[in-house]
Amino acid sequence: MKRIKQKPDGMKIIIVGCGKVGATLTEQLSREGHDITLVDMDAAPVEILSNTYDVMGIVGNGASYSVQREAGVDNADLMIAVTGSDELNLLCCTVARKVGNCATIARVRNPDYTEELSYLREQLGLSMIVNPDMEAATEMARILRLPTALEINSFAKGGAELIKFRIPQGNRLHEKSVADAAQILSCGALFCAVERGHALSIPGGNFVLREGDLVSVLVSAKDIRSFFGSIGVETHQVSSAMIIGGGRTSYYLARQLLDMGIRVKIIERDRRRCEELSTLLPKASILHGDGTDEQLLKEEGLARTESFVPITGLDEENILMTLYARRISECKVITKLNRMSFRDVVAQLDLGSVIYPRYITAEAIIAYVRARQNSIGSNIETLYHLFDNRVEAAEFCVEENAPVIGIPLSKLSLKKNLLIACINRGGQIIIPRGHNHIEAGDTVIVVTTHTGFHDIGDILR
Amino acid sequence: MNIALIFYIIGRVLQIEALFLLPSVVTALCYGEWQWWVYLATAGSAALLGQLVCIRKPRNMSFFMRDGFAAVALSWVVMSAVGAIPLVLGGDIPSYTDALFETISGFTTTGASILPDVEALSHAGLFWRSLTHWIGGMGVLVFLLAILPMAGGSHMQLMRAESPGPSVGKLVPKVRSTAKILYLIYLAMTAVEIILLLCGGMSLFESLTVSFGTAGTGGFAVKNSSIGSYSPYLQWVITIFMAMFGVNFSVYFLILMKKFRQAFFCEELRWYGLILLGATGLVAWNLYRTGSAVGMSFAEILRHSAFQVSSIMTTTGFATIDFDLWPKLSRCVMVILMFIGACAGSTGGGIKVSRIVILFKAGLNEVRSYVHPRSVRTLKFEGKPIRDEMTRSIAVYFFVFILIFTASVLILCRDGKDLVTNFTAVAATINNIGPGLAAVGPTQNYNSYGLLSKYVLMFDMLAGRLELYPMLLLFYPAMWREQGFCSKRTPQ
Repeated sequence: MKRIKQKPDGMKIIIVGCGKVGATLTEQLSREGHDITLVDMDAAPVEILSNTYDVMGIVGNGASYSVQREAGVDNADLMIAVTGSDELNLLCCTVARKVGNCATIARVRNPDYTEELSYLREQLGLSMIVNPDMEAATEMARILRLPTALEINSFAKGGAELIKFRIPQGNRLHEKSVADAAQILSCGALFCAVERGHALSIPGGNFVLREGDLVSVLVSAKDIRSFFGSIGVETHQVSSAMIIGGGRTSYYLARQLLDMGIRVKIIERDRRRCEELSTLLPKASILHGDGTDEQLLKEEGLARTESFVPITGLDEENILMTLYARRISECKVITKLNRMSFRDVVAQLDLGSVIYPRYITAEAIIAYVRARQNSIGSNIETLYHLFDNRVEAAEFCVEENAPVIGIPLSKLSLKKNLLIACINRGGQIIIPRGHNHIEAGDTVIVVTTHTGFHDIGDILR
Repeated sequence: MNIALIFYIIGRVLQIEALFLLPSVVTALCYGEWQWWVYLATAGSAALLGQLVCIRKPRNMSFFMRDGFAAVALSWVVMSAVGAIPLVLGGDIPSYTDALFETISGFTTTGASILPDVEALSHAGLFWRSLTHWIGGMGVLVFLLAILPMAGGSHMQLMRAESPGPSVGKLVPKVRSTAKILYLIYLAMTAVEIILLLCGGMSLFESLTVSFGTAGTGGFAVKNSSIGSYSPYLQWVITIFMAMFGVNFSVYFLILMKKFRQAFFCEELRWYGLILLGATGLVAWNLYRTGSAVGMSFAEILRHSAFQVSSIMTTTGFATIDFDLWPKLSRCVMVILMFIGACAGSTGGGIKVSRIVILFKAGLNEVRSYVHPRSVRTLKFEGKPIRDEMTRSIAVYFFVFILIFTASVLILCRDGKDLVTNFTAVAATINNIGPGLAAVGPTQNYNSYGLLSKYVLMFDMLAGRLELYPMLLLFYPAMWREQGFCSKRTPQ
């Protein structure tokens, strides 16, 4: 039995809604040792989850006062409402605010509310509102701006980005050690993680890169183009996008792409929805048709489009459309997957960038939970799980009394498989070397195969 | 089947047992008995054996329901097998089968004994016998969960397999905290009883052993007359504590949380109280009317009936009087109480009040459905609707219970005893009570049964304590076959 490093005070968390996001949160938060109570109106998912994880389950309406009392809202630290209904989520959190004195997080997805999110948050006293659809769309837009990347995670409020890409055939980096690679580069960049086959490593200076490796590189946001230039990869923002499915994510994505000056074509099956979208997005061309119709895709120029984004509700359809697009087109493809099953199999397919909206939501919430649990020392600003959860990239905010301040990095006795990838000092991005040191007020990005860091002090051995 | 992990758990269980053997060493030393080294040696070997098994931590942590059930069932068997050793080596019970019977009877909180003369035992032996009740009452795996941090879903599976009752209610979200709270309540209540018994002038040794027997709802006493020779005050204290240990422990947790309303409106608690009081009244009235308790004041009759009803219903099995000599109605009430048992989530055995109540309501519903075929009426228990799935599982549990019961009685009949003896012998073991009627009555013992019958009764005791299924799964071939020992052959 694995001994878990027992945090003395796991937070008391109530999760309302045992859907996809609820289940992901349950899995990850219970692994981090919190006291979790699940609430859902349907008995079956509650039972399954409470049999699988060390959590307590209650069947009932999470917004009702008595159910919340039963779930122990009086002593709870945090209430997370992730049911399918925005209104129910908001009501849950409002009631919880009044009954207990806990922090609250609600999932709100309806575009009608997006403009008013910050108003809602303030007026209802919520700590956080998450919108998975919008966040997924933002991530997709970020990738379309830099199509070479398979995945982009941004840190330091967008100042630094962690870019995952595959080293192309015959690239300059082939057979170069990480230290030599630094000579080629025109700007500061740090190789944070390399996946070759199934093996994953946090590379040291003499790690030799090969073509076909999946690498994650941390680069300051303004240096991205020059980074790719110096390794000889041409990359420029896509000029057109074809989106299949007209759901909420499509709407958010289309809006962002249009703002970036990208031509957008949306194919949607439902006539009514097409009309709605056409009203909302006058600049986009909306097509009424079935995205799985090969003829239609060809006719609408799948071969010529620069990017293709299937975002229907069905994973299987998304995957098939992606594979089809890969066959007949050279375009950048992003696949959205909702379910987590068979990830190994999915990883073997040539799907380009894959986005799991529920991970994005869960990560945002977990970062918040860890930061909240830890009021002294430092706080987690952002948190990403990379390479199938095998790597964690976390951004810590360093405060006065942290044990790492003022010591050159080469003198710190860091844990194994851990990298200090970046120091953000008041907006200035430093890709650190051995002689750099951390100061109070910095935010520090740490990439590691360990999980569950709460504090910058955790990086020390 | 994750054999490595199951072995690891059994190893840890052995170490905990070693820990619990140590108080007996102290007892032996206090009374200057030579057996102290027997207990010390057993504890040492158990600890060592446990450590050997645990040396390599299993790498595969996946743990499913069947692993949990197998781990619990095997732990109990191994624990009993080891626990019997000092009784044999110490010369208290020369035959290993008898010692095993006595230990299983202890761990399962049955209290069925094969000893004709308890007082002849060494103090260390008596102490160990009673302590097994205390360990078995709350469960050794629950203790393991409380002290050992474990990862993944394994907690839940273990707890589910060991806790009495149709559904496992956690008190707090984490199993580990739940286990700790349960043991703290258990410990505190035992301590209070010990103090109250000491106040009544009982010796320290006796108050410890009797309290252990009460807390675990076990029933091993240290005197041949069981509780009969103690003062009325002591008998009342024991009566009340027996009844208290038969209550669902979540009630005590609610009281600790100051949720008194919720605690006292617990439906199972009210039914339990009702049955307890009703049965006491019925027995007292029956004894008074038939005049079978000649020369006793009504207060005495009341005391004996309250004690005996409480003792049987909570499945403790202490006796102040030989209730086998009571009139037929009272004896029948006793037998019925044996089957009802205590509350779910208590230390008691039996079918459990909650199951009986739900079955009763389901039966009523069925009758109603013949009168109004279209009526829709959901069953409710504790104010919450009972899903059909739950009713079904309880009905099947009840049937399996009867099945094991019948088969056991059939096998016992080989020994040529009368039906009342065999019937109550099985009832008293599978429900973890102890004394039955006739030839296994309160003043008798189980020694006259043959070897096969003894093993059947041992199985019944374990099956009863572990809610049938863990023990049955041990004998279900597919459990071992499918992904069991063959797991090495499957690719990767």
